[in-house]
Amino acid sequence: MEKEHIIEVENVSKSFRKVKALVDFSLGISSGTIFSLLGPNGAGKTTLMKILLGLVRSDSGSGSVHIFGLPVTSSLSRSGVRYLPESVSFPSWATPIVLFRQLERIRHESSIDDFQLRCKELECDSLMKRPVGKMSRGQRQRVALALVTSGKPELVLLDEPSSGLDPGGRILVRNLTGNLASEGSTVLINSHLLGEVERVCDTAAFISKGKLIAEGELDTLSRQTGMGYVETANAEEMKLSLENSGYSCRLEAKGVVAKLPDPDAFRAMANSVLDTGIAFTGINQMRESLEDVFLRIMDSEREDDIVS
Amino acid sequence: MTLFLNGVEQLLRRKIVLTAAIATVAFLGLYWWGVSAASSVDITMGHDKADMAVGMLGPADAALAAIITAGPLAATLVTALIIVIGSTMLPEEIEQGRMPFWLSLPQSRLKVYLSTGLAPLAVSYCLSLILFGGIFIITKIYFPFAPRNLFLVLISMLAWLTVTWAAVMLLSLVVKKIAAMLIAFFLAAVASLFGGLHEIVRMFPGDAPEVLVSITNTVIYAFPADRGYRGVIYGLIPGDAVITENLAFFGVSASVPPLHLIYAFVWSILLLSIGYLKFRKMDF
Repeated sequence: MEKEHIIEVENVSKSFRKVKALVDFSLGISSGTIFSLLGPNGAGKTTLMKILLGLVRSDSGSGSVHIFGLPVTSSLSRSGVRYLPESVSFPSWATPIVLFRQLERIRHESSIDDFQLRCKELECDSLMKRPVGKMSRGQRQRVALALVTSGKPELVLLDEPSSGLDPGGRILVRNLTGNLASEGSTVLINSHLLGEVERVCDTAAFISKGKLIAEGELDTLSRQTGMGYVETANAEEMKLSLENSGYSCRLEAKGVVAKLPDPDAFRAMANSVLDTGIAFTGINQMRESLEDVFLRIMDSEREDDIVS
Repeated sequence: MTLFLNGVEQLLRRKIVLTAAIATVAFLGLYWWGVSAASSVDITMGHDKADMAVGMLGPADAALAAIITAGPLAATLVTALIIVIGSTMLPEEIEQGRMPFWLSLPQSRLKVYLSTGLAPLAVSYCLSLILFGGIFIITKIYFPFAPRNLFLVLISMLAWLTVTWAAVMLLSLVVKKIAAMLIAFFLAAVASLFGGLHEIVRMFPGDAPEVLVSITNTVIYAFPADRGYRGVIYGLIPGDAVITENLAFFGVSASVPPLHLIYAFVWSILLLSIGYLKFRKMDF
């Protein structure tokens, strides 16, 4: 059964003077998903996010944008909605507790316990009484994420949430995103870190020059690469054996990649691996990574542009 | 209301507000010292004709001199504060990237605009009350007098500051904040100059050159902040002083007509509305 759309964008356009940020753009985002907006710089991702929040107004007469069935021009459409901008600078004197109090004066959606819990999850609970001006960039980003996601928001929009975070922080953001979705929130992420996105998102939309190029679940967007991967400690030996069986191979870290003659030949390749008698720890049919999908889609878009 | 509290909380942490608060305390301290020193001097001594005239003066006349001297200085401090904090409040929220944060919360743009902008007016009004209230109390301690109209002081102060605040809010959305400050200071200075001339013109009805009358009238209607300030001074000065003539040379000739104050508030609402229309159309 198809999930209900929490966000509905229909035929929306937005221009900044001569620059077309969005062109007749339509998109639906189902509730409970972790959705990612992907595209090169200047594609229109941030503009779309801002239009969803009413921060940027779409061109007049260019379609409609609804959240929870309410037009984004209504402040009610932002109840239960949280947003983390790409860059926000809190007053340097303010501590996380003060900032939380200031936010809750307006939104009335979560308690201090919720906030402390989220701070603990993001490992910034020891910073509660430290002024923001005395924090590192990564610490500030963690606090901002905790402020934005405390309680049980219905929709969370994160613009480059891992910005300024170390690898440990990125893992925490990944876990946070997963937890939000498991708690019932819909998460919309705008990020250039495709590796991070790939690990947490179910669905993605590819945007280029203000147009929706592709959209769907990540599994359906990524194609089989026509390659098989064998993880083994004896990579050299495995490569030689598979080449003797007629496969074109190359060495990769911790294993061998073999080209399949056709997409259905994976089973035959697996049998060939077993026949070599060489110990291996894993074998799988390779799919495109999100980065591969991104590059393929953007390349084909570029080619279409040249043709047209 | 909630965002207003956030704005006030933020303003109270700013160095400019702290500086203004310290300047207020220092000013009142110096004023206290000056008035207390003056109160111990007997100005009625002497035997010639001029000294005899001086002998007719009472404590209320000394209070008049003290208030007329201190009023413009206090007004300069308050005007400077409201222009500086009023012209930076919205632009700083926008520049620091906090505006999208506030606007993404479930509240209307009008609410964000007014409650964020209202904080500088509230802080300036409080500081102005302390400053002019301090001048009133200190003067009254040393030179007992009955003010003409304290209610007029409160209303006129609000009108004066609201006009300046509305102008600077609009300017800060149209030009860069430094330019907004400079234009607002220029407007305040011009309004003060022609406001003073207007008082002199009022003292000689029919005698002043037509051009001057037209110019002063145009200025007080184009930027009515000065009418509020004159109301503050007129309401504060003693009603029981012997000196009642030529008050125009002290900057006030008569009370400010209520219509002028109403006009000042309507003018402010108009400017705030124009500012809001600009703010509503802004992309963040």
